[in-house]
Amino acid sequence: MIVVPCPNCGPRNSGDLRNCGELVPRPDPSTASLVEWREYLYMRKNPADWVTETWYCRGGCRRYFTIERNTATNEIRGQEAS
Amino acid sequence: MSNRLTAQPGEIIDRSTSLSFTWNGKAVTGHQGDTIASAIAASGVDVFGRSMKYHRKRGILTADHWDPNLFVQVGDEPNVRAGSRRLEAGMVVSTQNVWPSLEFDLGAANQLVGRFLSSGFYYKTFMRPKFLWPLYQKVLKKFAPGGRIHWETSTHDAYDKRYVHPDVLVAGGGPAGMGAALAAADNGASVLLVEQYGDLGGHLLWGDDAQRAQGADLAAACRAHANIEVLVDSTVTGRYDHNWISVMQRSHDIAPERLIKARAGVMVVAPGLVERPYVFAGNDTPGVILSGAARRLINLWAVKPGNRAVVMSANADGDAAVADLERVGVEVVAVLDARKGESIVSVEGKSRVSKVALSDGRTLNADLVVTATGWTAPTSLLNMAGDRPVYDATAARYFSNSLPSNILATGGITGDGSTAELEAHGRATGVLAANRALRRRHDRVAQTARSNDPAWDKPAEMADSRTPLNRVPHPECYRSTTHGMVDFSEDVSSKDLIQASKEGFDSIELMKRYTTVTMGPSQGKLETVNAAAVLAEANQVSMAEIGTTVWRPPFAPITLGALAGRIHEPVRRSALQDWHDAHGAAPLLAGQWVRPDHYGDPMGEADNVRNNVGLIDVTPLGKLDLRGPDVSKLLELVYVNKWSKLDIGRVRYGTMVAEDGVVSDDGVTGRLGEYHWLMTCTSSGAGAVWEMLEDWLQTYRPEWQVHVTAVTGGLTSINVAGPHSRTLLERIVEDVDLSADAFPYFSVRQGTVAGVSDCIIWRIGFTGELSYEVHVPSGHALHVWEELLAQGEDLGCRPFGVEAQRILRLEKGHYIVGQDTDGLSKAPTAGLGGLVKLDKPDTIGLPELKAAYERTDLPILVGVQTDDPEIVPEEAAQIVDGGSNTILGRITSSRMSPTLGRSVCLAQVDPSLAAAGSSITVLLADGRRVTATVQEHHAHVDPEGARQRV
Amino acid sequence: MSIRKEHGNVSETTFNSPVDIGPLSAPDGSVTVADAASTTKVQIRGGADTGAAAELGVGYGRSQRRADGALVCGTRPDEWTIYAGAGQASAITAALSEVFGHFQGEPGEGFVTVIDITHGRAMLRISGSNATAALNKICNLDLSDELTPDGAVFSASVGNVGCDLVRDDEGGQTSFLIGCERSFGKFLFIAVADACTEFGLSVPHGWELHGH
Repeated sequence: MIVVPCPNCGPRNSGDLRNCGELVPRPDPSTASLVEWREYLYMRKNPADWVTETWYCRGGCRRYFTIERNTATNEIRGQEAS
Repeated sequence: MSNRLTAQPGEIIDRSTSLSFTWNGKAVTGHQGDTIASAIAASGVDVFGRSMKYHRKRGILTADHWDPNLFVQVGDEPNVRAGSRRLEAGMVVSTQNVWPSLEFDLGAANQLVGRFLSSGFYYKTFMRPKFLWPLYQKVLKKFAPGGRIHWETSTHDAYDKRYVHPDVLVAGGGPAGMGAALAAADNGASVLLVEQYGDLGGHLLWGDDAQRAQGADLAAACRAHANIEVLVDSTVTGRYDHNWISVMQRSHDIAPERLIKARAGVMVVAPGLVERPYVFAGNDTPGVILSGAARRLINLWAVKPGNRAVVMSANADGDAAVADLERVGVEVVAVLDARKGESIVSVEGKSRVSKVALSDGRTLNADLVVTATGWTAPTSLLNMAGDRPVYDATAARYFSNSLPSNILATGGITGDGSTAELEAHGRATGVLAANRALRRRHDRVAQTARSNDPAWDKPAEMADSRTPLNRVPHPECYRSTTHGMVDFSEDVSSKDLIQASKEGFDSIELMKRYTTVTMGPSQGKLETVNAAAVLAEANQVSMAEIGTTVWRPPFAPITLGALAGRIHEPVRRSALQDWHDAHGAAPLLAGQWVRPDHYGDPMGEADNVRNNVGLIDVTPLGKLDLRGPDVSKLLELVYVNKWSKLDIGRVRYGTMVAEDGVVSDDGVTGRLGEYHWLMTCTSSGAGAVWEMLEDWLQTYRPEWQVHVTAVTGGLTSINVAGPHSRTLLERIVEDVDLSADAFPYFSVRQGTVAGVSDCIIWRIGFTGELSYEVHVPSGHALHVWEELLAQGEDLGCRPFGVEAQRILRLEKGHYIVGQDTDGLSKAPTAGLGGLVKLDKPDTIGLPELKAAYERTDLPILVGVQTDDPEIVPEEAAQIVDGGSNTILGRITSSRMSPTLGRSVCLAQVDPSLAAAGSSITVLLADGRRVTATVQEHHAHVDPEGARQRV
Repeated sequence: MSIRKEHGNVSETTFNSPVDIGPLSAPDGSVTVADAASTTKVQIRGGADTGAAAELGVGYGRSQRRADGALVCGTRPDEWTIYAGAGQASAITAALSEVFGHFQGEPGEGFVTVIDITHGRAMLRISGSNATAALNKICNLDLSDELTPDGAVFSASVGNVGCDLVRDDEGGQTSFLIGCERSFGKFLFIAVADACTEFGLSVPHGWELHGH
């Protein structure tokens, strides 16, 4: 149960939020090829390193936001280690 | 024969009390303050149980929580640690792991066939032949260690949990831990001090007068401090990222064990040291104990551990044990000074030590062997914070290597010292911990929306200027010239470890898993260092090169009950559920909702809807209030169909797909005003739809002005269905013209129902009959429901439940997302051909929708009727290719239709079978194959919809 | 034959709470749980470009009691909830419409919506010297005075139910208002009462967490 720094609520237990995964830009659906679309749907880099990811503060402010998190250490960038 | 001594200066037993209990059926008494083990030992018992594999007789070894030989059954509670569990009157205590009895145990024959049970015997012995596996299982179960659980156990209702947020959590209540707690608290930190045993004090409790006095003073100061919460008989069992810490609290009235989840600013780790056994032949014979056990038995509980003792001492604690033994009249026949290389070679004796062979060649008669050969640093909590301890040959133990800033160690795991030095190091650590924790608290207060800005300045960061404790040189004594037990819990000997090394399992982590050394209930506290030493010897390398195993949570075993805690499984109830309960409704748990399944006669209820009028509570239907100028753009985006032109007062059905084109939800949405809409969605999907809409509005279309509010429970939804529904509503709706012309099918109105204003009336339905859905502000819902029943009495109005709804709905062929579709069902499968508009610039899943409609291989949802009208295939029954088992689809919904007097189904079939009139074969659960015919429509009753458009 | 009857109006029909049980208290008074579902609850939403924030006077996470007794809470970013005594929804909504005038989401000088959520939210109040300790058994947030002072507004899971909370002390006594989706109301009351049993509160038959 890591601590996620919600920009609105402040630090919260990760169980209060939903991790929506790595931030992936959504292609324009009217021009994207099926291959590009499926890259967006399914392909993730999943590095053991820094990753920009989206979280939804489900139990708190109900806002979506992004953070940078090191998936190997759970360090969250810009926040003092807590 | 009592082994209870006269009053000892430090004893913690209350001799004015007498607690009666039974040990293997015999009546025994002890005192308040006794552990189960000390009371039994005081009564003269030597043998407490049998070992796991070889069923060797075992007695006290450590007389504390880690004692591997003191697992007992207490009433219906198995695996109780008699070395630390306090005695209570009336306990029914018995031995575990014996069959048929402690004195005569058939399992002891395993000693004779020891070679079959050596390293890796699980892997080697029970592999072949495979057909004997069930037999092996049966035999192994007989010999499995551990107590017995009783399914009908009823000693308590539930376990418990609690959250805490201390600035500083101190693990360990010895002199260093108490010093740290006091200093941190004095410096403004809130402190949770956790001690594993029943009293604060640690090793001071069994120390000399000065040590005990100092321990008592510190303990009193901790208990009196307003900033310190003291938990005794509680264990810090795990440390996880960002200092999420689990504490297991015992002996609280609320539950046998309580899991405390702590988020601590800083954890101070002060567990002290665990004494390790010495490896020699016969080292697990009852009567061979550690120096700490001797001192605890004598000083805490006034129990004489034996009469003629041989002591092997490598340190001051061993020397103190000699003094304690002599003081209470134990004859010490030899003291072997390990610092001079003297040692014990072997021990003889079955139920108790009788002879001891020494390294000088002598063999002495003795009934007690006490060893003091060094310490294991229980660095588990440091390991869990990422530390990999390093072996120090001079001090003959492991020390931490590098710790994150929110973990500090103090006391014996960092070095040696006098009581004063330990306390001083603890205090310095507490000051540092408070500094770090308050800096963190300042940040938290400043960042937290619900708090005010901190009214104090953030303290400056303090450097770690603590004077480290000394590392006192200690001889490396692990094993004598003979082989003996390394892991008492798992019956793993030094011989087994050497054999494992020879077989190639020569890394500590591999050897651990192959031999199970350190994997028993002691979890390495007693055996890790000896195991590493034996392996180093076998591999002819240094201890430092061997490294150590990684200690993972839990620090001490936890009951599953404590992990479960109390059961918080929320149940949702509509405002009418109490009425349903009171009127004989069979409850149905649908997702989180409890709903009326039926009121006794689902077929009759369905029939009544077709002929008269029925009411069903459909409150769980998801409802989202949408307001703003851009709602229609949002609807256009999230539904597969067109939404731009829907007049006020009109309703449209829509289906949603996810970005991968899979059908995700459906429902009707009505326009209540120029900028006001009400969306309905499935009960189970409502939460996800809401989050999805918010994601679009916040992330991708922040410029759109739409406010979404979930109103599911606020609007109690009553579907009024049947030919008489209009007549009924006309009696209680005051301000809405219900005539067919003024209020056509798929329309919505706002009005007053039975005197309740702000109701929403929809002309929609899933039953195929003329029907209305009335949404009532929930605080007044019961009134409206009862009025409908009263006013409809002469019309035959009766409530119907979910089962009748399923029947009626299936008769009409309305598919259910998640029942008739699944996680792979794309829009064409659900038969949405006419609905889906692919010419929109954007809609969720658009590229996948386009791709799906170019495919010809997707399964198709069809109406199906069995050729034998009496047969109702099970839902999920497979559709197969004739007599073969090639699967061509499945029945997704099936019911007996009271309207048609025959079975009706929906099914997903291979496109080759989707044409009306296709004959298919359904494989029933009982193995029968029956034929069925694909229908032209999904609807089995009134496919033209004439009945609902009147 | 017509059996049409006279109908009462809304004010004559009882407001039914999901919790039909009176307040429960520990014998020593250290903790009390009481239903408060009939509390008027009006939600206002409006972005930073509207006058809502200035008009309502509190930011996200904090609350303020108005002279008329209504409690104005910054429930979420750009979202407020006004809690007031029972039966005041129309009055409050009408007063707000005077201020904002943009109901039904009409575009104008700022997009503000007002919605009466009284019927959609259950509510209870837990008070007393042990209220915080009881709540901390089933709510993971730091509820200490510094992190959660009087007036704090926040959302959290309470017994696995998503709740909107306000620390709203009464007469110097710690007190929390806890609101949740109406259909969870009875379960929430049961879960909170269960958490209070450690502090001496006894739960009547039929209201036990593990009793049925």
